[in-house]
Amino acid sequence: MSLKTIQAAPGFQDYLPKEYQDLLEDGPFFQQRKVSELGSFKEAIEEHPMCAGCAMTLFIRLVYVGLPSLEHTVICGTAGCGRLAISQGAVPFVYGNYGDTNAVATGLKRGLDIRFKDQPKDVVVMAGDGGLADIGFHAVMHSWFRKEKFTTIMLDNEVYGNTGGQDSGMTQKGMVMKMAPTGKKFEKMDMLGLAKTAGVAYTARISPTNPTRVANTVRKAVLIAREVGPTFIQAYTSCNIEYAIPTPKVMDDAREVEKDRYGYLEYFSDEAKTYWEESEKERKRLRKAEK
Amino acid sequence: MYTVAEIDVEICSSTKCRLCTQFCPEGNTILYDETRGTAYVAVDRCKGCEICVGICDDLAKHHAIKMVPIDQVKDGFEISKVGFKRSLV
Ligand SMILES: Cc1ncc(C[n+]2csc(CCOP(=O)(O)OP(=O)(O)O)c2C)c(N)n1
Ligand code: SF4
Ligand code: SF4
Ligand code: SF4
Repeated sequence: MSLKTIQAAPGFQDYLPKEYQDLLEDGPFFQQRKVSELGSFKEAIEEHPMCAGCAMTLFIRLVYVGLPSLEHTVICGTAGCGRLAISQGAVPFVYGNYGDTNAVATGLKRGLDIRFKDQPKDVVVMAGDGGLADIGFHAVMHSWFRKEKFTTIMLDNEVYGNTGGQDSGMTQKGMVMKMAPTGKKFEKMDMLGLAKTAGVAYTARISPTNPTRVANTVRKAVLIAREVGPTFIQAYTSCNIEYAIPTPKVMDDAREVEKDRYGYLEYFSDEAKTYWEESEKERKRLRKAEK
Repeated sequence: MYTVAEIDVEICSSTKCRLCTQFCPEGNTILYDETRGTAYVAVDRCKGCEICVGICDDLAKHHAIKMVPIDQVKDGFEISKVGFKRSLV
């Protein structure tokens, strides 16, 4: 949870795997890295088996850049494609049983707050649309009703990708999937509306078309969750396998979907808005003072 | 046989671009050499999706990336062998 715990004992560093040494020497800890610096530092995310050209992979990669303090973060995930990459990140990863993420994250966050009174610890749930809107729906909603202070990120590929193409609550109406051969029968769930009703402090809907915006949105959501209350990001992260998108066209698809129906939407509760405006002002003032 | 991305150093280093480094889905795969001012690919990590080609051609409009069969890559950089490098020179 901090650089101290990943630091090698003196004389031992040379014997650690190269990837580990690189993280210690050129890694992203204890500084807010920018998307524009990608390629110039060792990223927390390692090699993983997600499909080539998967937009979800790109989104997850950008989340690791946006997290405001990697060394004080725990990510909670579950079954589904995303965990294949998230479990290979140099950030503690807790695997909640499918459907349990937001219950597990609740316990984690509360426990960490008791144990580390002077050091904010961020808990971030990152899981699929099936894991959060269908099977984990009750735990997600109740964590919001209880105003638990952590961020939930839905990797919305609009399908159960990992198990081969079942429709989820987030699949669009009429969509024919391998295991929805006559077409999905119901509308895509309005998770943003539900989040607002449940009193979530900040919500955003986003696609990975603008990497800096993805990182900034994640950072904002985590910082607001730390101080105000639950936050939620719903991210369009196409499944190129189940939607048969040729990989060179994945970004074209993301741009089209964003333009046609997904957009970039943000909502702040009054309290979150006040907090965010004040903290932005303070950051600006500090930057000026530094200069 | 599969293909991996290869970046033309001459074209890329004449720009101040860095765009493909932000769009490759894989971490630690398109790296950026500050000394030579060019992006370069860890060929052992590239999954051959061609997203970077579209980014360089259509967004950056620099046409510096092409896909090449892995057995025709000359002196490809392999991050798993040598680790992260700020610069290859
Ligand atoms: C309790 C339980 N039920 C079912 C499964 C099987 N399962 C594994 S992944 C998955 C679907 C994942 O879909 P989603 O959450 O949308 O994530 P994606 O793979 O699309 O990213 C299911 C049903 C499981 N692992 N545990
Ligand atoms: S199955 Fe779909 S969502 Fe899962 S890794 Fe492959 S492309 Fe991505
Ligand atoms: S997009 Fe093209 S020009 Fe820009 S950094 Fe990548 S290879 Fe270089
Ligand atoms: S082909 Fe895909 S994996 Fe390979 S460098 Fe380009 S974007 Fe990255």
